[in-house]
Amino acid sequence: MANLLWLQGGACSGNTMSFLNAEEPSACDLVTDFGINVLWHPSLGVELGDNVKKILLDCISGKIALDIFVFEGTVVTAPNGTGEWNRFAGRAMQDWVRELSKAATYVVAVGDCATWGGIPATAPNPSESRGMQFLKREKGGFLGDGFKSKSGLPVVNIPGCPAHPDWITQIVVAIATGRGADIAVDEFHRPKTFFQSFTQTGCTRNMHFAYKVSATEFGQRKGCLFYDLGCRGPMTHSPCNRILWNRQSSKTRAGMPCLGCTEPEFPFFDLAPGTVFKTQTVMGVPKDLPLGVDKKGYIALTGAAKNAAPAWAEQDLFVV
Amino acid sequence: MQNDQENALRNRIAKMMADGLQTQTEPFPETDREFGQLLAELRDLPAEDLKARLVVSGFVDKPYGPDQMRCQECMYYLVHRKWCDLPELAVPVEPDWWCRLWRI
Repeated sequence: MANLLWLQGGACSGNTMSFLNAEEPSACDLVTDFGINVLWHPSLGVELGDNVKKILLDCISGKIALDIFVFEGTVVTAPNGTGEWNRFAGRAMQDWVRELSKAATYVVAVGDCATWGGIPATAPNPSESRGMQFLKREKGGFLGDGFKSKSGLPVVNIPGCPAHPDWITQIVVAIATGRGADIAVDEFHRPKTFFQSFTQTGCTRNMHFAYKVSATEFGQRKGCLFYDLGCRGPMTHSPCNRILWNRQSSKTRAGMPCLGCTEPEFPFFDLAPGTVFKTQTVMGVPKDLPLGVDKKGYIALTGAAKNAAPAWAEQDLFVV
Repeated sequence: MQNDQENALRNRIAKMMADGLQTQTEPFPETDREFGQLLAELRDLPAEDLKARLVVSGFVDKPYGPDQMRCQECMYYLVHRKWCDLPELAVPVEPDWWCRLWRI
């Protein structure tokens, strides 16, 4: 039996919606097959008012063992660091987060808002939002760079906008079944099992990437979305094309560019009209090249790839 | 469009440029916003106004600039069809041509 508590800060509930759609395992499987006791969840908890408060206080005091504390959304610290803009159960949510994080064996941040601040923390960030242990790429976040939960792990970050439901449930199951120590995290505290490979891994358009044939509009069944439509698949760590959404698709499979939502910078660039879904270039060369590729090598590779491109690469293929 | 038609149109474009058609090769759109403005300008042109489209997009019938940029390496160029696949242009081209919508 592992006790799980889920709270929500500055968020749209997108990760809750995602979590409730989990399939491998499902949210119900967590309870029935893996012995997880959901103490409270914003969309599932039946307690209200003082009864919720009592659960939280009991977790903090140790009366209830808090094995997994999941936080969704940003930690809102406005105004002036008080956190009063986001009150919950009679006090600032940030105070609950601070004390529950100290009490928990494992702390899991779900979604971009909880991990790096996501959209709410984008400048000018009026709610003074922070991620649990990061603000964008900057280490620290609300809990501070040195924070470690009782397990010895920092906050386990499961980013995404939203996070894929199975990433959430599989990490929770790993913890609940005593395999929490096996969770290896990268420099941004993302579980390596999910975030070591790139979105491009498993993309059905990889041949078009190799032969430098570009898609020019959304939904086209041919061409790579990187060259023109701003796809961030070659530089984004995620398994979106390995662990498919709804078990059958992904953004790139549907002809939609990867937005890079599992990386700390999301959302990217200045978001001004004309800059979204467009590959940013300097003199016709992409500003952001696939990770590990330099400009000179990229240009040489492009010339060679174009010369070698087979005729089928130009055809309208059904790639889903 | 059939291959014969594409060849005929390619020849027509080649002749226009060989006859000295002056196109706007500069300024090269250095930012994506400038690139978008050029695309918007192209979209506003009548589809049948080939000459205006060539002028706005800055076509030349030889490689361009210190890096000798050319259609052959451009992202929009379809090698086997000898075709510019940028929706706002969508014209047959030769591999050694260039225009200021070039991207790699």
